[in-house]
Formats: sequence, structure tokens, C-alpha cells
Amino acid sequence: MARYGMVIDLDRCTGCRACMEACKVENNTPEATFWMYVFRFEEGQFPNTHQWYLPRPCMHCDNAPCVKVCPVGARFKREDGLVATDTDRCIGCRYCEVACPYGVNYFNWKSPKKAYYLDWNDPDLQPVTNGDSPPYRNPDLDGRYGPEGRRTAGGGHAKGVIEKCTFCVHRVERGLKPACVVNCPLFALHFGDLDDPESEVSQLLRRKPHFRLLEEVGTRPRVYYTGGNPPVAATRQIEPVKGRV
Amino acid sequence: MAVKPLTLPWYGVGRWSGGWYAAAALALALVALGAVAYSLQLSQGEVVTGLRNVGTMRGATWGLYVAFLVYFVGVSFAGISTAALIRLLDLRPLRAVARMAEVLTVIALLLGALSVIADVGRPLRALVYLPTYARPMSPFFGTFTLVIAGYLYASLVYLYLDGRRDAALCAQRTSGRLARFYRLWAAGFRDTAEARRRHERTTFWLSLAILPLLVTAHSTLGVVFGLQGGRPGWHSALQAPGFVVLAGISGVGHLIVLAALVRWLLDERERLDLTVFRWLGNILLVLTLVYLYFTVVELLTATYAADEHETRVTMAVLTGPYAPVFWVSAGALVAAVALLGRQFLTGRYGVGLTALAGVLVNAAAVGKRYLIVVPSQTHGTLLPYGDGAYLPTWVELAVIAGLLGLGAFLFMVFMKVFPIIEVPEPSEGGR
Repeated sequence: MARYGMVIDLDRCTGCRACMEACKVENNTPEATFWMYVFRFEEGQFPNTHQWYLPRPCMHCDNAPCVKVCPVGARFKREDGLVATDTDRCIGCRYCEVACPYGVNYFNWKSPKKAYYLDWNDPDLQPVTNGDSPPYRNPDLDGRYGPEGRRTAGGGHAKGVIEKCTFCVHRVERGLKPACVVNCPLFALHFGDLDDPESEVSQLLRRKPHFRLLEEVGTRPRVYYTGGNPPVAATRQIEPVKGRV
Repeated sequence: MAVKPLTLPWYGVGRWSGGWYAAAALALALVALGAVAYSLQLSQGEVVTGLRNVGTMRGATWGLYVAFLVYFVGVSFAGISTAALIRLLDLRPLRAVARMAEVLTVIALLLGALSVIADVGRPLRALVYLPTYARPMSPFFGTFTLVIAGYLYASLVYLYLDGRRDAALCAQRTSGRLARFYRLWAAGFRDTAEARRRHERTTFWLSLAILPLLVTAHSTLGVVFGLQGGRPGWHSALQAPGFVVLAGISGVGHLIVLAALVRWLLDERERLDLTVFRWLGNILLVLTLVYLYFTVVELLTATYAADEHETRVTMAVLTGPYAPVFWVSAGALVAAVALLGRQFLTGRYGVGLTALAGVLVNAAAVGKRYLIVVPSQTHGTLLPYGDGAYLPTWVELAVIAGLLGLGAFLFMVFMKVFPIIEVPEPSEGGR
């Protein structure tokens, strides 16, 4: 069985945040929710500064702290390596969120319908949309996935539950790559089977030195970074998203 | 209520005074306020609270509700542990506060359970799924199953068994609806020497069984935080023992305040004499000293040569945005030690001063719980998201006030339907 993972080439990333946009459109996430997030970093003092970028999806850890602490088993590890959230099971205690060292979990503080970027039912919009459903409203998101048959593909977006990056499980199960990966204009993101030595990701990892984020915490992430270094104490974030509902 | 005049000391049972109604109305008003705030939270979502996501939203996802969950469960600690220790070590002078302590435990656990429900995004699902899909691997399992289910159940059984004798006595002397309640509680208990001996034996073994459950249960709430390697400031072996000690402090402090109130309200100087307050005050003094020692060790470890993330959280607490809460809490603990220590050294004990120490340590306990829960989320992110902030909104404060009001109301009602102090046995010369 394939065991998926992601390789992110920091040498190629220009911090354009197209992956964030792709994720939002694909998964229809509400305002201030960034399942994929791109840090823009700065190091050094002017004029000797250096800027670099670090995309941060969910790490889909093999030893995921969020899975361990979930009191009802809504957060679980799939056999193919994905860490999934069953939004039908989640009770909204947010223990996964405090356990996660990467900050990838997003709670729906209010009804997401009130937090989408565009009100598709707005009468002013009706002449433009002609009554169509929003193009980003993907019915695949409501389906059930995996051998478990649980609703794990970002569908629902219900108030009072936790959601996070799904590695676009609804695409992966159809043999497609996640939206962030296919929308990266510079091919900085790679996705594939880490168990298959011939896959693109395995070859990349063989060829290039790589690291994983916060390996010292023991989470064993499935997202690898090549062509750069992890952030250090002197790394400052610049241009953070203004994301507070 | 149809209650006949009583001959034994009944500690105000059945005497519904105007002051009682006023206090009950105040408590219920708080409950109503909390209910309004909570219904707003239910309909709009937790966006009405000050809680926000950790990470890009730079908030704290656990705040006042979790801090008070930890506080309430902490308060429950002293109740049943004092009651069990009184039984096991045969601390006769403290017998008078045993019932109070048991009721305190039950009420505090109920409030703890309700603050969990207030915190979760899907309360109805939580009620069904927590037992249905319980996973022992999650430290929350300990909180929900051990503490709120097992421990609450054990406490209720203890309270029930311990109250049978008094219920039987009450049943003999009252009529009307309450008499049926007393008879149900007494469940055939007859106040004979043999029955009393059996009663003593049962409660002794029950106390013995409760003590290990108590340490385990209260440690699990500490490990909810202590096991999280990804949260600097939480990941520490000291969390569990620190939790148990601070739980003892807040619980004993609460017990002192309650005993002082009951003494004042019922004018019960004979059974709640200075010996009671001397004992409780000294226990509180020792526990507070232990906790101050823990605090110093913890701060030293986190600042001397710690991981930079650990230091960042600690500095946020010591000199950053949380400094006022920290120093007020630490000051309250030190002030309590000074008050109690002076009483201990001079040998002159006062109810008022001991109760003041009880209030001080409880204020400190609330502050410390807040400092355990919040700063590690806003200042403890391992990736450079930047410092966050959290301030509770009026909704959270109102819900907590409602819970406190509910607790006060339940205690007041209990005082009026059941003797809050054990009716003394004939040999103790209570008549």
C-alpha cells in the first residue's frame, strides 16, 4: 500500500502563497483558516538581511500527538499515512490543537457559512452567478473516504469542530495530487508514495539533503523539506496573515 | 415545609430564613446570567468567547473554561481527601467538617463537568461520544472517566453511606415530604451500636479505596498538560504532583472558608471550634509551603539553562503580559503563608485570619491555573508564529459566574435539607 508524504523544495519556493489560495478554493475553508500556510521569514539586520519562505501544511505525523490525545478517536491515522479528522465524530474539545506543535488545527469558532469570503446568496451577486452554486463548493468534500468510510475530506465545515489539512484526501483517492501541489507555479511541492523507491518524492529525498520540522519533538512528520534549513530563534516572521475571526 | 420542631442539634435544617432566600436569589441570578451567556455561545458559536486558534490566529484555544475546570476538580480534591483522612487517621477534631468536605467534593466535580461542557464546541455530541468512543490513550480519558465519572461516583457513595445515620435520625423526627427523602437515604439504618460499628468499618474501607483513586484521578488532570512535548511550559514531570498539591491547597482553603461561614451563620462555636481551624490552617500551611517550593524549582529549571522556548514562556509569565497575574498569585500565596505561619508560631489561632488565608490561596489557585493553561499557547509556539494574546470576554466570565452561583446554590439547599455537620453520637455528648 502506498504511504504518502510530501517533499517541499525551499530553494524553489518564492513565497507567492498560491498554494494557500489553491487550498482555500479547493477546500472552501472559511476566513482566517489556513490549512496550508506559507511563512515569510527574515533573518539578519538591515541591510544584510535574508528572506526565505516555508510552506506549512499539516505534517501528517507518524507519531501524531493529535491522534494520541483525541478523546473520541475523531483524529486518526490512516494506513496510507494520512492523519484524518472525522468531523462527524469531533466533539470540539480542541485537545488536538494544543497538542500539535505545528499549529495546523483550525476550530470553527462560528458557523463557517458566516465566514466565507463571498456571500453567494447576496442578491447583488445573483445576476452575476445566475443562481449557480459556488464553483469552489466541491461536492467531493462531503463524501466518505478510506476503508473506514468516514467523512474526512474537509466536508461539513460545521460550527464547533476542528478541521485541518487533509492532504486533499478526496483527490488523492482518485489518483490526483493535492491542490497545493498541482497549483505551485514553481513545482516546489512534491507529493507521492514514500514507500516506493521509484517515486518522485523518494528520488528527491535520495538526491538532496533534507530535514523535517521539529524533529526533536518526536512526531516523525511525513513532510520533508529540502534546499534549506529549519527556522531558528533569530528567524522573524514578516507579513503574517491577518487571520483572526 | 412540614418540619416538626427538633430536639437534637440540626444545624439549621428546615429553617428557611429571609436571608437565605435573598442569598439563594442572588445565586440563582448568577446562574441565569450564566445561562443567558451560554445560550448566546451555543447559538453563535465560540466566536463570542476570547478564545482563538493557536498558530496563525495567535490566540489561546483553551482559556478560562479549562482553567476553571482544573480549578474545580482541584477544589474537589480536598473535600473527599479530608473526609477520607479524617476517617482513616481518626482525626476526631475534624469530624465536624467531614460532611461539608464531602458535599464540597460532589459540587465541585459537578461544576468541573459543566465547565468541560461549556468548553467543547459540540456539547451534546460530547455527552454521547465521550463514553461511547472513550480512548484510554487520551489523557482526557482520565479527566472524564476517572475524575468526573469514577471519582464523582465514589464521592457520592461516600456521602451517601456517611449520611445514612443522620438520615435515619432525621427521618424519626420529621414528617412530610422530606421524611420520605430521609427514609430513602437512611435505607433501613437503625442507630444501634452494632449498626454504627458496621458503618464505621464500611466507611474506613471506602476511604482506603478512595485515596489511591484520588491521587490517580488528580494526576491525570496534571498529565493532560504534562505529557504534551510540543508545548513548552507544559511538558514537565512536575505537572502531576504540582497539580495534586495545588488541588489540596484550593480544596482545604475552600473548606476553611465554608467552615468559617457555617460557624458564623449557624453560630456553631462548639463543634466548629478553634481546633478545627488550627488543624485545617496547619494543613494549608504545609501544602502552600510545598507548592511554593515547587514553584521556585520550576522557575529555576525554566530560566537557568532551559530551551529558549521554555524561557520565552517563563519570561512572559514573569515579566511579560502575564506578570500581573503571576505576581498577584505568588503574593497571595506568600501572604497566606505569612498569616498561617504567624498563627503557627505564636500558637494563637483566629477564625477570621485563617479564613482570609483560605480566600487568598483560592485566588492564587485560580491565577495559577490560568497561568498553567494560557501562556504556553500564546507564547509557547515552537514555530515562529509570533506572540499571541488571550483575554476572556464577558460571556466566559458570565458562564463561570453562573457555575459559581450554581455551586453556592446547591450548597445552600443542601444545608437546609440535611445536617451539614454530622450529628454527634450520644457518647460525644452532643445533646
